[in-house]
Amino acid sequence: MMTTINAFLAAKGIYMLTLALLALGVAGIIVCNNYMKKLICMNVMQVAVIFFFLCLGQKSPGTIPVAVDTAVKASEYINPLPHGLMLTAIVVSLGTTGVGLSLLLRIREKYGTIEEDDLLRREELMTRKKKDGGDRN
Amino acid sequence: MTLILQAVLLAGLIGITIAIIFGKDLMVSVVIYCAFSFLTMLLYNIMGAPDVAFTEAVIGVISTVFFIIILRSIDRKTK
Amino acid sequence: MRKTITVILLIVAVIMPFLAFDILPVIGDPQSAPNTHVSDYYIEHAIEECNSPNMVTAVIVDYRAFDTMFETTVMFLAGLSVVIILANRPKKRIPAHSSLKRVRHSGGRPVFETVNKDVMISVIEPLILIYAIYVLFHGEVSLGGGFQAGALIGMTYLLDVMVVKRDKPIFNLSKTKAAAIAGFGPLIYALTGIVTILGGGLYLEYNKIPLSVHQAELHSIGITAVEIGVTIGVAGTIITILSALMERTSFDDDND
Repeated sequence: MMTTINAFLAAKGIYMLTLALLALGVAGIIVCNNYMKKLICMNVMQVAVIFFFLCLGQKSPGTIPVAVDTAVKASEYINPLPHGLMLTAIVVSLGTTGVGLSLLLRIREKYGTIEEDDLLRREELMTRKKKDGGDRN
Repeated sequence: MTLILQAVLLAGLIGITIAIIFGKDLMVSVVIYCAFSFLTMLLYNIMGAPDVAFTEAVIGVISTVFFIIILRSIDRKTK
Repeated sequence: MRKTITVILLIVAVIMPFLAFDILPVIGDPQSAPNTHVSDYYIEHAIEECNSPNMVTAVIVDYRAFDTMFETTVMFLAGLSVVIILANRPKKRIPAHSSLKRVRHSGGRPVFETVNKDVMISVIEPLILIYAIYVLFHGEVSLGGGFQAGALIGMTYLLDVMVVKRDKPIFNLSKTKAAAIAGFGPLIYALTGIVTILGGGLYLEYNKIPLSVHQAELHSIGITAVEIGVTIGVAGTIITILSALMERTSFDDDND
């Protein structure tokens, strides 16, 4: 029983769950009306991508990639390459979150709201007012 | 065995994401996101990536603080 | 309605290829394609070539050092773009929403003063700083490295900002100063590469650093110099973003 579950998870199950997480992140970016929730969902999507990369580096009888001995056999250690690539990706995700939050603050200062439909309505209102003013002049 | 644990944690992450998307209160969403990043850290540790888990633990806390700072100047309720 | 159709199409498009094809390797298989080609070389030669038992650090700052240089630059550019986006001076800070205002004591003392500043500043912050320095200089032997150390230093500044009143700071870094500090990180990184060129090697080829010590020591010196650059870059960027966001936000202990 356990072995069949393990075999299914190793072949397809983990990948499917990861893809479900990725799809939920993208769906959150599309569906949510609030820009803050969109940013959080972007972070969720990033976690799914990082998890996918780390899945590829797993080895079943392997230990963490810190050597305790000078004679090293490659089959005993988990692949360190995805770890190195994803570690920098996590740190850069903090930078993108900061840029997104500063844009959010500017949107709040200009329009007074961060809800998408409110923002579109106010934008339309502002352009109409500008056009009316242009006509009067 | 670790694969089953990973699957359970991933299911937890999916549940948390659904809670984030359908929440009505942004503060709740942000705090739940902090829990999300800690579950992620646990997941990375189980997969044998302690370096990535360490980074995720620190970065998750810092990004949560950024979100909460922003929450002071925007409206907390959402539709 | 439009959103619903989009989401359904998205889910179908993501799930369907998985049920149809079988292209990804089995998880945990030591003979799969991602686990065989170049990573075996990295694992087997990390100790003798880079003198770094932590293979992740060896991959990040030795084998793929050029990558990491530009990652640090990307981090610095993110901080710089936050400074540029928030460059205008707002007339006044946006007041906090009423649901977030704190209830005051009857004596008029705000609740935030119950956070014990003395414990936070004299006990917890030095411990975090010691840990950050340990992680920085021990990154090639045990877990950790420049990115984690930079994030920990940024977290120390964050704690400091959180428990001290804004008009009485212990030390205050404005966003432009912090961005200037963050710029030194990639500079140190790039200068390390130029030093190896002066020693007659390629860019970032650490065993050509012009010092008369053993080869393994040269690799350790190069890795440490590069990690110091990464630490300064990451910590400076975190402080930049934090102070840029904080100066637009109003808090309960503000005087205005």
